[in-house]
Amino acid sequence: MDFIASLDWITDPTVLARQFMAGLSNGALLFLVAAGLSLIFGVSRIINFAHGAVYMLGAYFAWTVVGAASRSPLIFAAAIVFSTLASFVFGVLFEILFLRRIYRSDQAFQLLVTFGLVLILGDAVRLIWGREENSALVPAGLEGATRILGVVMPTYRMFLIAVGAAVCIVLWLVLYRSRIGVLIRAATVDREMLKALGVRTDRIFTLVFGLGCGLAGLAGGLSVPIVSVGPGLHSQVLIEAFAVVVIGGMGSFPGALVGAFLLGQANAFGVLAAPALAIVLPFVVMTLVLMFRPWGLFGRPD
Amino acid sequence: MGSVRTAGLSVRLALIIVAASALLIPAFAGPFWVFVAIEVVVFALYAVTFNLLFGFGGMLPFGHAAFFGLGAYAVAVLVKKAAWHPLLALGAAPFACAVAAAFVAVFCVRLTGIYLGMLSFAFQMLLYTVIFKWYSLTGGDDGLSGLAVPGLLGRPEALYYLSLALVAVSLAFLWRLVHSPFGKGLQAAKSNPHKSAAIGINVALHRGIAFVIAGAFAGLAGALFALANQSVFPGWLNWTASAVPIVMTVLGGVHSFIGPVIGSAVYVVLQTVLTGYTEYWALILGALVIGIVMLMPEGIMGYFRG
Repeated sequence: MDFIASLDWITDPTVLARQFMAGLSNGALLFLVAAGLSLIFGVSRIINFAHGAVYMLGAYFAWTVVGAASRSPLIFAAAIVFSTLASFVFGVLFEILFLRRIYRSDQAFQLLVTFGLVLILGDAVRLIWGREENSALVPAGLEGATRILGVVMPTYRMFLIAVGAAVCIVLWLVLYRSRIGVLIRAATVDREMLKALGVRTDRIFTLVFGLGCGLAGLAGGLSVPIVSVGPGLHSQVLIEAFAVVVIGGMGSFPGALVGAFLLGQANAFGVLAAPALAIVLPFVVMTLVLMFRPWGLFGRPD
Repeated sequence: MGSVRTAGLSVRLALIIVAASALLIPAFAGPFWVFVAIEVVVFALYAVTFNLLFGFGGMLPFGHAAFFGLGAYAVAVLVKKAAWHPLLALGAAPFACAVAAAFVAVFCVRLTGIYLGMLSFAFQMLLYTVIFKWYSLTGGDDGLSGLAVPGLLGRPEALYYLSLALVAVSLAFLWRLVHSPFGKGLQAAKSNPHKSAAIGINVALHRGIAFVIAGAFAGLAGALFALANQSVFPGWLNWTASAVPIVMTVLGGVHSFIGPVIGSAVYVVLQTVLTGYTEYWALILGALVIGIVMLMPEGIMGYFRG
């Protein structure tokens, strides 16, 4: 097996820029998923194994609105809003009905509840939407390619980068410049103390779980024009989001951003440099980080 | 060993009844149910190895299926690519898994909680991806098949008795282990690592040894399952597969040595029966899992104990 492919491209600025932008757009989607996963973990210490399944649910929600043939930007926008809000509501309900009761339970029970949700959602989408792989069209105005910095990029990829950046800024403003953000960050540091100070921490837990699921649903909705929406959609996303969160630091917002950027780039360039190794790269990095710096690049040691 | 000797008459009677009915299964059941019985026995061992780490060691690996899958693939590769006799390969598989588990343990035992779980998860996904992609060695997505044990031992009943005997001996060993001074040390390290260290228990060493033993016996379970199936598939060590021993353990009862065995029996029989009626078995399992965590967190054993 040839582990190292030809490296001629390394001096070709067009290829470098193209891969960089491709990595950036994948990183943008990954960031949306990983940021929610990390926020949820930071506040509630729950590892949401169902996060990929919620992403998949968001994709199905959006696909249901858009359908296979629509090119209307308005319908597409409505689909994205719907997938985000519906996933948010789903997360809020799941938190209130189930997760809320097990915050004090052993981690294995928390794992099993989110894993039970993976099993249920995996079959539920088959029951509701069938087994087919569904696809949708890129909405009008975002199809084709755009020339930017001398590189020709699919316009929709540029759009993903823009949305990712916008959501990142909004999230940053919420987390670091608003009262609720102060409370969320305080809850990641010491929830008992926050509760003792009279804050209704249960509401924060519900909100954060809903927010995380909403972000996953948003990412799922946005990915509809570029992936095939089928029952197996959740696995890869979850695993990559896990890698991002571990690399960046579990519970860390900047960690999710940097981790998603790094993994997006590693995937984009790894495929060119060493296709056979690229696929194991996330796990190798994840393993190394856990071995030598388990709290990740931006997390705090416990 | 006190608790072994003082085990009540009713416990002994129950053990004898279970043993007798286990021995008689092939006399009454057709090949299909004999295969189901093998599955129960094999997964019982697998779930107990998980509970050695979790219930007795206080460690929650998210990737325990790595060792089950590695044991299965060790058998498959040795038989298909190195032309070993299947039974010889069966004997080698646990050692391969012990070595792999020792490597993972070196890094895992120093970590706590979520980080240990995640490292175990990362190692499992690494192994899964390599097996999935290394087509020439592992058959990739298709797995490897044609692992029939030659001769009389290849008959379902013979494989069943072989599995039953090996699992019974393994469980007896693990039972002794958790009731030995080593097992007490492991449980002490679970309840309070700092105090345990203060009274001279080498916490990391106890956890490391438990990790290696659990990995080796999980590998034996995987190897037996490979021979029973006459094939192996990469899905056996995908991330969702690691939830199976956790579900069995919680279903049967975490705070009991025998709980995971009961959990395995209930899980496998339920799966076999339900998949006959519906293709949405996962949906039912998911609801069941959430229901158990919410309503009877001590599992079946805890329920009967009151």
